[in-house]
Amino acid sequence: MLRYVFRRALQTAAVLLAITAATFGLFYAAPSDPALIACGPKCDTGQVEAVRHSMGLDQPIVQQYADYLRGLVAGRTIKDVDGTPIDCGAPCLGYSYTLHQPVSAAIADHLPVTLSLATGALAVILVLGIGTGLVSALRRGSRTDRLLSGFTLIGASVQIYFLGYALQYLLVYSTDLLPLPGYVPLADDAGGWAAGLLLPWLVLGFVNAAIFARLSRAQLLEVMHEGYVRTARGKGLSARRAHLKYTARGAAPPLVQLLGLEAGALFGGAFITETVFGLGGVGKLAVDAVVGNDLPTVVGTVLLAALCVVVFVAVADLVVAWLDPRVRLA
Amino acid sequence: MAAGGRSPALRVRELSVSFARSHGGQRGAVVPVQAVRDLTFDVAPGEVLGLIGESGSGKSTVGLAALGLHDMARTTVTGSIQVGGTEIVGAPEKRLCAVRGARAAMVFQDALAALSPFHSVGAQLAEAYRLHHPGTPRAEARRRATDMLERVAIPAARARDYPHQFSGGMRQRVMIAMALINSPQLLIADEPTTALDARVQRQVLRLLDELRQEHGTAVLLVTHDVGVVAEMADRMLVLRGGREVEQGSAQGLLGAAAKPYTRALIGAAPTLHTVPGTRLPTVDDPDPVPRSGHEAPPARAGARPAAAAATVSPIAEVRGLWVEFAARGSRLPGLRRAPVQAVRDVSLAIAPGETLGLVGESGSGKSTTARVLAGLQRPTSGSVHFDGRDISAAARHTRLRRELSREVQLVFQDPYASLNPRRTVEQIVTTPLLAHTNQRAAERRERAAWLLERVGLKTEHLARYPHEFSGGQRQRIGIARALAPAPRLLIADEPVSALDVSVQAQVLNLLMDLRDEFGLSLLFVSHDLAVVRHFCDRIAVLHGGEVVETGTRDAVFDHPSHDYTRELLAATL
Repeated sequence: MLRYVFRRALQTAAVLLAITAATFGLFYAAPSDPALIACGPKCDTGQVEAVRHSMGLDQPIVQQYADYLRGLVAGRTIKDVDGTPIDCGAPCLGYSYTLHQPVSAAIADHLPVTLSLATGALAVILVLGIGTGLVSALRRGSRTDRLLSGFTLIGASVQIYFLGYALQYLLVYSTDLLPLPGYVPLADDAGGWAAGLLLPWLVLGFVNAAIFARLSRAQLLEVMHEGYVRTARGKGLSARRAHLKYTARGAAPPLVQLLGLEAGALFGGAFITETVFGLGGVGKLAVDAVVGNDLPTVVGTVLLAALCVVVFVAVADLVVAWLDPRVRLA
Repeated sequence: MAAGGRSPALRVRELSVSFARSHGGQRGAVVPVQAVRDLTFDVAPGEVLGLIGESGSGKSTVGLAALGLHDMARTTVTGSIQVGGTEIVGAPEKRLCAVRGARAAMVFQDALAALSPFHSVGAQLAEAYRLHHPGTPRAEARRRATDMLERVAIPAARARDYPHQFSGGMRQRVMIAMALINSPQLLIADEPTTALDARVQRQVLRLLDELRQEHGTAVLLVTHDVGVVAEMADRMLVLRGGREVEQGSAQGLLGAAAKPYTRALIGAAPTLHTVPGTRLPTVDDPDPVPRSGHEAPPARAGARPAAAAATVSPIAEVRGLWVEFAARGSRLPGLRRAPVQAVRDVSLAIAPGETLGLVGESGSGKSTTARVLAGLQRPTSGSVHFDGRDISAAARHTRLRRELSREVQLVFQDPYASLNPRRTVEQIVTTPLLAHTNQRAAERRERAAWLLERVGLKTEHLARYPHEFSGGQRQRIGIARALAPAPRLLIADEPVSALDVSVQAQVLNLLMDLRDEFGLSLLFVSHDLAVVRHFCDRIAVLHGGEVVETGTRDAVFDHPSHDYTRELLAATL
């Protein structure tokens, strides 16, 4: 197992390095001049050149990339437009001249919302998706099964902005069943935190749960008929215990892998949901940065999203290896 | 009949089992399929009953029903099954769980699928013990598990390993150890050795017999293999289409069965005592006339005309053949493992009109050698010639392979996987003609019809699809396809090992007829010594990628020169 973890960690590090190179390349490929944007529309050529120099953009690309990587690992000092030094702490993603703060600070401001939203949505996905799959598999062909599969079809086909607005209208404006969605820091008021995020959780979770419901149903039905489940019952295990100990374990790996991808995507920001419910998460930060040509922030958020996917996929692979000795001993 | 000493270990009365076969979950049109009808038999304590039949005979269903292991929702079981006096049919799950694994245990066919891939073998055995000895400390259960593993000759140190780390034979021994850990009165063994090589099969059967005697266990041995029944069973019961054909002492039935079906089943598989080259009995024709009656040349034992012609230059030949496969694993040069040598310095020659049998266990390199001769596998080194022409590059050169495939055709093992399910029989059989001749559609069709008749099918089958045919018929289609371009060499890789014995006999009879009719040369690859002895003129025995012995059939079988050949022969049932 240790060898597998080591191998997997090495791969993950290599992928991350490649992603920093690609996103840094994006910085240069984008058809805009960061120095010009930072300086402002009223600058003349000389001023732009001065800004370019203070931002370090006149250095060779390799040098800039090395500085960027060094900043990511150890932090560095960045000069503002006018040359005042700004201290940029350890995971330094550069400085946003639009927001006038280091990108990492901007992300840190928006991260709690995204973390809260993603965690809750994942919980909904797990309970709703896998629960639905489990019930449909156990009652295959029954009325419940057909009802649930219709339900998951709705989940898979409905759009978040439609469902979000519809539920907000029904549950918040018309009936006052839920408070207006919004973000209250967890540390300040746990109840308010949960109440404000409940609707976004449900909407984001429901829409993404459909695929889990379908996959878990198919997986369980397949594994239920595996030879080792029959052997377990042949040993004297009751059907329920055989399914808990053997079917569940056999069915889990693809679900874990899909969950890893899903978690990676959610922790990288959920722009549509954030917009529908007026939540200022990382997704909103990223889209605003794209609209405002704020390249350092774009690169920073892209890197964060990629990091989330890569890390969660790696974690999912490790869980699968732990579940299935054939993977880790291959 | 309570706990009387003489009450049967398994008592089955008027057992019928039917499945509700639903089609894709749609409602309506649920046609019950009757798998077993009115079956009555007993297995006495300590007795081995061989339940024998072909696929679809319902034999496995009986084994599963005896432990109530079938899919309850879709299966209807009527009649009575008693295990040591406990009724199984209609019993609540709690009672079944107390019987399963304790008083009656099961050994399944494919141990790799039947053992949990997620738990070490020791843990699986310990679980079986603790289930029926609740409150046993874990350490005690583990100790019993390792003891039992050692009893089946698996070292205690390997108790922590997982099933995929064992060989097929060892896995089957684990399965047997797990079934016997609670000393059951009844063991149900469903094809316990079918997937194993002959020598391993022999070992596993011996072990099973020893343990059975130690524990005084009665065995219901479910199998299609007459040899296994002859080796193991006290009594046998022949099943066909879910009904009993006959039952009686194994000795008696094997010697002189009353029913033609039983006789055909017993005679269909060639043994090491069958006269080579004779027509094998089939279910439709249990007492065949000898083959020498027809237009074919007289086939006296070991005297097919081409066989002796050793001086004629060979039609196909490999010399000093090596085939290596890159090992799986790291792509970094320093960490790369040594390549696997599948074939090591093999030299073989096939004379015109001759049938060469390539025998060996799984992993011996016999299929790889056949693939090289067919131009499908690139040799690492060595020369490969067909009709005097160097064809060692055929695997990489499409044109050369194309030219070669006109003369060399293949018959595959699995008749289900080797025919395209979306093409009609006509398309399948005429494809080689399309590739190799300029014939017009009507001519091709005519040839396909003629070929179908040669292999015992009808012209009207041309428009049908493979799924409409049985396994044996599909293999006939595969043979017709192979014969279409009038090849000179036919390479048949385990062409009958996926078939039921009676179908195997039909296909072997057919191949013998066609061989005579078309004057074919054949490379016949098989793990089954009896079949090879029956069918081939000359034999090459492969072991670990090397030829350990070649010679005429009589030389190899009557006076084997190599220890390995002798071992293989001794293990053949």
